[in-house]
Amino acid sequence: MSKKVKIHRLKTGVPGLDNLLGGGLPEFSFNLIAGTPGSGKTTLAHQIMFSLANPKNRALFFTVLGEPALKMLRYQQQFPFFDVDKVNESIRFINLATDLLDGDFDHVMSHISKEVKDFDPRFVFVDSFRSVVQTERSREKSGSDLQKFIQQLGMQMTSWQATTFLIGEYLSPNSESSPIFTVADGILWLSQNLHRNSMVRKMQVVKMRGQAQAPGLHTFRINDQGIQVFPRAIIQQGAKISTGEVRVAMGVPGLDEMLGGGLPAGYSLLLVGPSGSGKTILATQFLAEGVRRGEPGVIAAFEKSPSQLLSNKLHALVEAGQVGVIDTRSLDLSIDETLHDLITMIKRMQAKRVVIDSLSGFELALAPEFSEDFRGSLYRMVAELTSMGVTIVMTSELEDRYTDLRFSPFGSAFLADAIVVQRYIEIAGQFKRVFSVVKVRGSEHSKDIRMYDIKDEGIIVGKTLSDYAGIMSGRPTVSP
Amino acid sequence: MGTSDLLRHQIIKSLPLWQTEKISDAAVFIWEQMAIQIISIVGEGGFNSLYSRSLVLTQSTFFWLEFDPHSTQTKHRFAELKMCLEGQTPEHASAANLLLLITFTDILASLIGEQLTTSILRLAWGYDAADSASKEIY
Repeated sequence: MSKKVKIHRLKTGVPGLDNLLGGGLPEFSFNLIAGTPGSGKTTLAHQIMFSLANPKNRALFFTVLGEPALKMLRYQQQFPFFDVDKVNESIRFINLATDLLDGDFDHVMSHISKEVKDFDPRFVFVDSFRSVVQTERSREKSGSDLQKFIQQLGMQMTSWQATTFLIGEYLSPNSESSPIFTVADGILWLSQNLHRNSMVRKMQVVKMRGQAQAPGLHTFRINDQGIQVFPRAIIQQGAKISTGEVRVAMGVPGLDEMLGGGLPAGYSLLLVGPSGSGKTILATQFLAEGVRRGEPGVIAAFEKSPSQLLSNKLHALVEAGQVGVIDTRSLDLSIDETLHDLITMIKRMQAKRVVIDSLSGFELALAPEFSEDFRGSLYRMVAELTSMGVTIVMTSELEDRYTDLRFSPFGSAFLADAIVVQRYIEIAGQFKRVFSVVKVRGSEHSKDIRMYDIKDEGIIVGKTLSDYAGIMSGRPTVSP
Repeated sequence: MGTSDLLRHQIIKSLPLWQTEKISDAAVFIWEQMAIQIISIVGEGGFNSLYSRSLVLTQSTFFWLEFDPHSTQTKHRFAELKMCLEGQTPEHASAANLLLLITFTDILASLIGEQLTTSILRLAWGYDAADSASKEIY
């Protein structure tokens, strides 16, 4: 049996954060929560503290010269995680401002030591640690005092078996040279980025000793419940890939035959067509067929608000709880937030089918900075969803120019396993609808261009236009 | 000042303060106990701001309760309060101190909430006073 030390990982209680940290916070670690003003550092610290603290594992929260303690207590109480009953017994707030103004670091250190000795906490928070650093600088002392203080604090807290969090305002991880960056076992960096008129909050685990954290920047929100992190989707090595053996019925008579026996399970299908061509109707039939077969579905409907929810048929499926709807009203979403909501709903409903209606609406709902990398993010999202074994139908509106053949305005056709194109053509002075299966990866499929109609019961597939030529020009002629 | 069902007000009224003859000594003792807890949480600055504001509000009823709370040193924070109370009859001193305490804690409660304020007062004055007050209410 191995006798190597095993570090216990603490669950932070912040949704999504443990995934970023590589499973949780290492027990007895010395951490820095850093970021710009207003980025949510104090809220994150409180949420972690109220989640972890209990009568057996107590917490001390030292306030220094940052946000006045009165205001901090006032505002943090607005979050449901702030449990007043925990204050005093499990959590104590201590103000260090006087020690810092009156004396030097020895004063601060001895006050912290005394309180820690008296209360015997398992968690210690110092907010704002930046104030300590600035006070030291203002006295024009050498940095050695600060370095000594930080190292002493780090050592003492670890010896006291306390997991420690220093909270401080810093501008960016690269522009700082404070000794705390060297001493800290973990650094969580919070930022808020403005892009055009939208603001997006991001979190980065710059450092977390002894465990593999999720690299890069991850979006998070501060809502009425507190902080929620949406870890960036990263395509896993060895993710499950559909073999195409199991087929999924589309619910449109004739379409399954054209697809070579239905859409392979775990595939993503891109349904492209101009406005009014019946994309949402086909997607609804796909969901309804799933429900009929005992396979619940989920729809992320970006085209319409839930109150004017699509067709009566879809509305009935949603009302019956057989199809889940993702709230997509916000216009500052990140792909990862949408993916998080989708995965939560898929797991909750044990859904097998997912509809994204439409990619055009999805792009519009994203915060501008995410729109710029829409293709890359969509790729990660589709890979994550299909690796769960769900079958996806994505609709995409495309202006029918009749002069070129495009499958997606986002260049996203390559990430779809199957493509169905709908378009209008003119025959005998009438607009007619036609469609064709363009691609089904690794499978035989029909190459026909067939007419279809939209009736009350849904899409009715019609005859093949075998007697016509130049159909894709929009004005076919009868073949000689 | 009307009657109140607030537990905090009841705790203040049940303090072993109002029956004593040496009202000023007892008042300072109560204030010091409370100050230790509040200063430890919100700092000297936070406490002094609340104390100054409470004095200004109480002075409209008890005009003689007039002094500069910032003029005294931290160690003798309540020396001026004690002097003011000593110059009055026990009834007047008692009523002024009661109003000052209630005003101070009212402001604190408006900022950090009733529940947290009561919790701090329980810690400051011991649970006995609070418990006996709560028994009177329920």
